[in-house]
Amino acid sequence: MTDTAIQIRRMNKFYGSFQVLRDINLTVRKGERIVICGPSGSGKSTLIRCINRLEDHQDGSINVLGTELNEDVGSIDLIRREVGMVFQHFNLFPHLTVLENCTLAPMLVRRFSRAEAERVAREYLERVRIPEKADAFPSELSGGQQQRVAIARALCMRPEILLFDEPTSALDPEMINEVLDVMRELAMDGMTMVCVTHEMGFARQVADRVIFMSNGEIVEENTPEAFFTNPRNERTRGFLAKILAH
Amino acid sequence: MTDMTHPIPRNSRLEQLRHRFLRTPLDIAVTAASLLLALFVGWKLLDWAVLSAVWTSPDGLSQPCRDASGACWAVIEARWRLILFGVFPYAEQWRAAVATAALILAGGLSCLPLFWSVIRQALLWIAAFALFMVFMHGGVFGLSSVPPAQWGGLALTLFFFVAVVIVGMPLSICLALMRRSDLPVIRGTAIILIDGVRALPLVTILFTAALILPFVLPGWLQGDKIWRVIAGFALFFAAYQAEVLRSGIQALPRGQEEAAKALGMGYFHRITRVVLPQAFRNALPPTINQLVITLMETSLIVIIGFFDLMASGNAAYGTGEWSFAYVEVYAFIALIYGVFVFSLSRYGRYLERRLRVGSS
Repeated sequence: MTDTAIQIRRMNKFYGSFQVLRDINLTVRKGERIVICGPSGSGKSTLIRCINRLEDHQDGSINVLGTELNEDVGSIDLIRREVGMVFQHFNLFPHLTVLENCTLAPMLVRRFSRAEAERVAREYLERVRIPEKADAFPSELSGGQQQRVAIARALCMRPEILLFDEPTSALDPEMINEVLDVMRELAMDGMTMVCVTHEMGFARQVADRVIFMSNGEIVEENTPEAFFTNPRNERTRGFLAKILAH
Repeated sequence: MTDMTHPIPRNSRLEQLRHRFLRTPLDIAVTAASLLLALFVGWKLLDWAVLSAVWTSPDGLSQPCRDASGACWAVIEARWRLILFGVFPYAEQWRAAVATAALILAGGLSCLPLFWSVIRQALLWIAAFALFMVFMHGGVFGLSSVPPAQWGGLALTLFFFVAVVIVGMPLSICLALMRRSDLPVIRGTAIILIDGVRALPLVTILFTAALILPFVLPGWLQGDKIWRVIAGFALFFAAYQAEVLRSGIQALPRGQEEAAKALGMGYFHRITRVVLPQAFRNALPPTINQLVITLMETSLIVIIGFFDLMASGNAAYGTGEWSFAYVEVYAFIALIYGVFVFSLSRYGRYLERRLRVGSS
């Protein structure tokens, strides 16, 4: 149980009477890299947004790092502190510099001193290969640079788990690789990662498991090897045929 | 070929003017007529305001003005202390001057980036109001007590404006945040308050605060009329400013708050560090607008017996001696309002330029 990072049991989610997630069961061990893929509207973003309670679930249980997610604000804050998230549209704070984006939450939430927060921030900016932009504002950066800053910002909280919500979908093609490279390095370092992405090359190289969702259900869960060469489910085959065709 | 390498030849200033204003006979006629009219009005104005004007009247009487054809600036010389300080005891008016200067100085300082923090603003304004009360109200340090009923002129107008904004601005932030709460009771309360206050004319609110509240409130809560009126005016300001701020908040992408949540930041930090700084920047032009309107509307407090800048001006020419010189008095008052409004709008432009850094 101690090496379990995320455990989701029989979870259901509704928007009004419309069911967006159906009987989700998923266990992620510490250090595991999970890629979730599926057609748009299949509920994959909603699923990972439930893990840090940007969305609430109506039924079943979600346990993150031993803490049960429920209405309790204390447990939500506890979990969000340990679970970082990288968004499709970066969501950097435009009124703050890159460095301030990275130090804001560690200083307020983790109670780091400014000096300590800046040291950590520069270390991670170095790691995402953008240390020279520390004093720039987000609007002065390209999309790829902004997404790398967003990853550094999440890392500065020293999270146990990182969630990626289509981190490359809003990027121009020539910028996708710089972001994927950073994500690959994180995976090598043993970070627990749950990535919603359509980058199948990344999934094949990095993922321990690939999960395919359709209509709010987990349809197939497999090793990348088996997932890509020998998918069991009809819908998986249809999806792979469509996105690997070009 | 040489034409190709040269840019289109730039017309001289004169040629541009000729092209724009003197192209056809009709153009020439219209231009000439406009010029003549402008010259005529300009000359008349200059003659009235400067050349034929009476600047001073040694014995403080209006006779030299009555003999002249131009503006009577001597009325300002004779009555400026009434316009600036109203019926504040004449011998003590230096105190009103110091108090007013303290407010203006604090206003200037609060605009400096050095003071852009909640704590520093609070300290600055507490100090300014303490200073204002000591000098204006007196009753301490051997200064005689001057109750608010005797305050007036520019001193009262500025005090009123600053007090309304300082009480109203935090209130407007609360209302705007309540209005977007997830809890129906809190959201409903904010909507009822905002819509209720906006449904009432300002004059009604001022009358209620000044005349009706004393019947309703217990004695210990009534205080001086001026505090009740400031509270009512601040509520009015807050209702409008809350909607201005809400527009600034709604302009933020949803991802901003989500990113702050995902970083583990609590509600207070999300609002103060992420939402409000951006919301204020978005809402800056209408906020400046609201401030200017509020400064102008302080002149309404005359109807409940306060002797503000406008009312003092009316009194300044309201004697038989100076009753003909109202244009000059109004020009002077317009100049005073103009200086403050112009400063506000220049500061707004400075802020927009400065805060644009980092916006997309």
